[in-house]
Amino acid sequence: MTTDPTLPEDIRNHLPLTPVVFEILLALSDGERHGYALMQAVEERTGGAVRLHAGTLYRALARLVEAGCLDEVDPPAAEEADERRRYYALTSLGRRIGAAEARRLESQVGAARAQGLLEGLERA
Amino acid sequence: MSHPGSRPWLARGYRMLLRVFEPEFRARHGAEMERLFLARLRDAGREGRRGAFLAGAIWDAVRSGIATRLDARGWTTGGGARLHRTGERRQGWTMDSVMNDLRYALRTLTKNPGFTVVAVVTIGLGIGANTAIFSVVRAVLMGPLPYADAERLVMVHGAMRTRGVTEFPMSPPDYRDIRDQSTVLEDAAAVFTFAQSLTGDGAPVQVQMGLVTHNFFDLLGVAPALGREFGPDDDRPNEQGIQPGQPGALPSVAVLSHALWQQRFGGDPQALGRTIDVGGVSAEVVGVMPPAFELLMPPGAALARDVEVWLAGRLDYDNAPRNNVFLRVVGRLRPDATLEQAQAELDRIASGLAAENEAMAAAGFAIDVEPLAAGITADVRPVLLALFGAVGFVLLIACANVANLLLVRASARERELAVRAALGGSRVQLIRQMLLESGLLALAGAAVGVALAALGIEALLAMVPAELPRVDQVGIDGVVLGFTFAAAVGAALVFGVVPAVQASRVELADALKDRGQASTRGSTRTIRNAVVVGEVALSTVLLIGAGLMLRSFVALSSVDPGYDAEEVLTFDVSLPFGRYPSAGERDRVMTELRRRMAAVPGVEAVSAVFPLPLDDDIMNGRYGLEDALSDPSAFRQAAYRTVRPGYFEAMGTPVLEGRTFTEADHADSTLVVVVDELLAQKLWPGESAVGKRMLIRAITPEPEWVEVVGVVQHQRSETLAADGMEQVFFTDRYFGGFASAWVVRAGLDAALLAPALRGAVDAVDPDLPLASFRRLQSDVDRAMGPTTFALTLIGLFGVIALVLASVGLYGVLAYVVRQRSAEIGVRMAFGAQAESILALVVRQGLGLAGAGLVLGLVVAVPLSGVLEAMLVGVAPTDAVTFVGISAVFAVVALLACWIPARRATRVDPVQALRDA
Repeated sequence: MTTDPTLPEDIRNHLPLTPVVFEILLALSDGERHGYALMQAVEERTGGAVRLHAGTLYRALARLVEAGCLDEVDPPAAEEADERRRYYALTSLGRRIGAAEARRLESQVGAARAQGLLEGLERA
Repeated sequence: MSHPGSRPWLARGYRMLLRVFEPEFRARHGAEMERLFLARLRDAGREGRRGAFLAGAIWDAVRSGIATRLDARGWTTGGGARLHRTGERRQGWTMDSVMNDLRYALRTLTKNPGFTVVAVVTIGLGIGANTAIFSVVRAVLMGPLPYADAERLVMVHGAMRTRGVTEFPMSPPDYRDIRDQSTVLEDAAAVFTFAQSLTGDGAPVQVQMGLVTHNFFDLLGVAPALGREFGPDDDRPNEQGIQPGQPGALPSVAVLSHALWQQRFGGDPQALGRTIDVGGVSAEVVGVMPPAFELLMPPGAALARDVEVWLAGRLDYDNAPRNNVFLRVVGRLRPDATLEQAQAELDRIASGLAAENEAMAAAGFAIDVEPLAAGITADVRPVLLALFGAVGFVLLIACANVANLLLVRASARERELAVRAALGGSRVQLIRQMLLESGLLALAGAAVGVALAALGIEALLAMVPAELPRVDQVGIDGVVLGFTFAAAVGAALVFGVVPAVQASRVELADALKDRGQASTRGSTRTIRNAVVVGEVALSTVLLIGAGLMLRSFVALSSVDPGYDAEEVLTFDVSLPFGRYPSAGERDRVMTELRRRMAAVPGVEAVSAVFPLPLDDDIMNGRYGLEDALSDPSAFRQAAYRTVRPGYFEAMGTPVLEGRTFTEADHADSTLVVVVDELLAQKLWPGESAVGKRMLIRAITPEPEWVEVVGVVQHQRSETLAADGMEQVFFTDRYFGGFASAWVVRAGLDAALLAPALRGAVDAVDPDLPLASFRRLQSDVDRAMGPTTFALTLIGLFGVIALVLASVGLYGVLAYVVRQRSAEIGVRMAFGAQAESILALVVRQGLGLAGAGLVLGLVVAVPLSGVLEAMLVGVAPTDAVTFVGISAVFAVVALLACWIPARRATRVDPVQALRDA
């Protein structure tokens, strides 16, 4: 386990995150989005490497809401009424968990760099 | 968001797929998921990877959907809110982990080949039977008719309510009125088929003729493959009183069947414009129908399926008498019209006609409309659906057996499963693992099943009743394979889920410390007993069905049809009207034909008739007594028969009273008839019918008096199963030489007589074709065809079910004996006798069998009603069948219990106690 034991338990219990969950937290870190926009953001950021299907995406969203990491929020005023899409926003817990995961990954990447694991790749 | 140009069925399909999701989840997110799916589908389409996207989306929906259901039950470790990855414990249903499990499942199954083979063959039997029957059901009941927009085609029948006559043909003026007055029917056409001789260009042959209105092919939406179809000019009536072929008649035009065109003209396109001679009428060939075209009409319409020469009718719609009915009317509903609207409108037209025509009003004239497709399959639907139900039962029984095998094996694998659980396998993973094994078994079973079905279909087609429509399309295609696959998946769930859930409930500590026999928990034992009771019940129901069919078959075989078909040969010789137009001439030729055939050595009696019993042709008329003259509604309907002298002798029909016809009858003007016992009973109950007078109407416009000279036994003619209508026999001289079906009683083999009979006909007129030479018994066999067919298949499925259920019973008891060997050992050590041990086991087995039997009998009472339409001379709740089948089952169950019970008595107490 690479999880920092000094983290509060409510955060530590959730780590390491599944890649899908981390991608969702990441995509919501700069503001609320609805499902489709979220999916597009993830796809864009990963250059098409992560393409979320509807089932996976909404199940993960449901779990994140249940865990208190996300809130469902009202759509922005500009949204057309008939669209009726749910918007999701990070809660403070979600933000902290996302950050904790990022730090965890960072420390791993740092370790990899220290061991020289990345050098060959970076040069290529 | 709407997606013009996208495929609405994909959206529908995805919405269906969303049902996999837990309902609350679906209610909350379903709409958005569908939108997201459609948006991504569009993107994927643009990038040309729609197929890959769809495969991924389906996989995603299935696994996420199941996962949401597991989340809701808290079955996923960490509950629904889990976000973390857990290394090997990861629940993710990724392709990789599934592949791993698949490899593991394959290894497990191949490690235990005995179990695997038994399970696969059992499932294969069930799936094979289902696939074979489904392929027939699909082609016959679900296959589209080979006509354009066939769902809008309807059959329009006449009916006479006061005489209990339905599915009756129509007269040309009736047809014209329906066509002209109906607004719900876009169009209506009429057809009539009959046999006629085709001469010129080679040997004379008898061909099936189809007389149609010019719009007939157009109505069906089928165009000739070559040449043109009929136009209104081809159908314009002749001047009143002029028959086709007579001087002054308009030229006739014909369209040939593809087969006749090949035979007669070698497929030469130059055949168009040539002239053929049918029944003395010459007609110009103007077209050739496509090779696959056939006339599919309800069997009650008695139309030939393979018409070879089509003629435009030139019927006199305005002047033909309304009581000369022979046309079958087919209509096409307007696209927006319903069957109910059509029926309501035809009811109005019928009452309008009846208001203008006294005779029709008296008969209770009515018009019935039914969808063409439903009419065609109405007779065979109950048989096929009953068979489909029967094979469904067989598959369920097969599943029950495999489920029991799996339960036994799960007990044996308890420690393996416990170890897997200890190494981090979650409950869901264990269930998934077990289900994968079930799935593999089912798929292998499906492969075996398809092979069995391919063989089974061939055997099936060899014995299907001849009147089954579209049989040529029965086969294994994509849809049938899809059904097979669905059946396999369904079967895997049915036999796999309970054992899998049961197996996943391993208690680690228990399983690992119990070093002796694998423990069987009470719940598993209960489930296995229930499974056996269920399969015994299912097979009881099937066997009851088989028993009822057997009783029907026996009843039908022992029916006395009123004639002795065994030594009777039959064939058709129809005199062409063009060649022999006058009644006198026809009668002379018929008499001569009969004289010459009677002289053939080996011929004991010879005569001719129309219509021949069981031959589908219809010639009905009314009959009555004095009172019917003032009150036409007192007339009743009878089947008319025109016969040459010697008919009853040739058919072996017993004469009950009076005499039969002689060559002298009808030479003078006295009109004499022979009636059957049913009619004599109805008109003169308790009295002698001979010498009595009655009214008939056959060839004259108004009813006329005839004298009854004899009473004969009723001849079953419509079906073998029921009496049918009462019968009146006329001398053929009265009808004007119309009896075309010859019947020859001969002790010799049919094949030996054929040349001599052919020679006798040639001696009278070498241009007369002799057609459909066969034994009359073959018609009787054909009439028994549907019953024989249903009996054979339901019997076969019943026996398979019985064997499977016995094996299931045996398996459970054998296992129980093994489980209880320690207890049995103790009992024997304390001096229990072998008999009491035997009784102990047998009692347990018979208890299960008895429970299943009783359950099966209770279920069979309402279910056997399904067979009602196919039963002959036996009620669906026939006590003999129910008791007999119970007895058979009791004996088989006893045997299945006996073998494991015997083994129990041979338990060595010392060994058993040591093992314990």
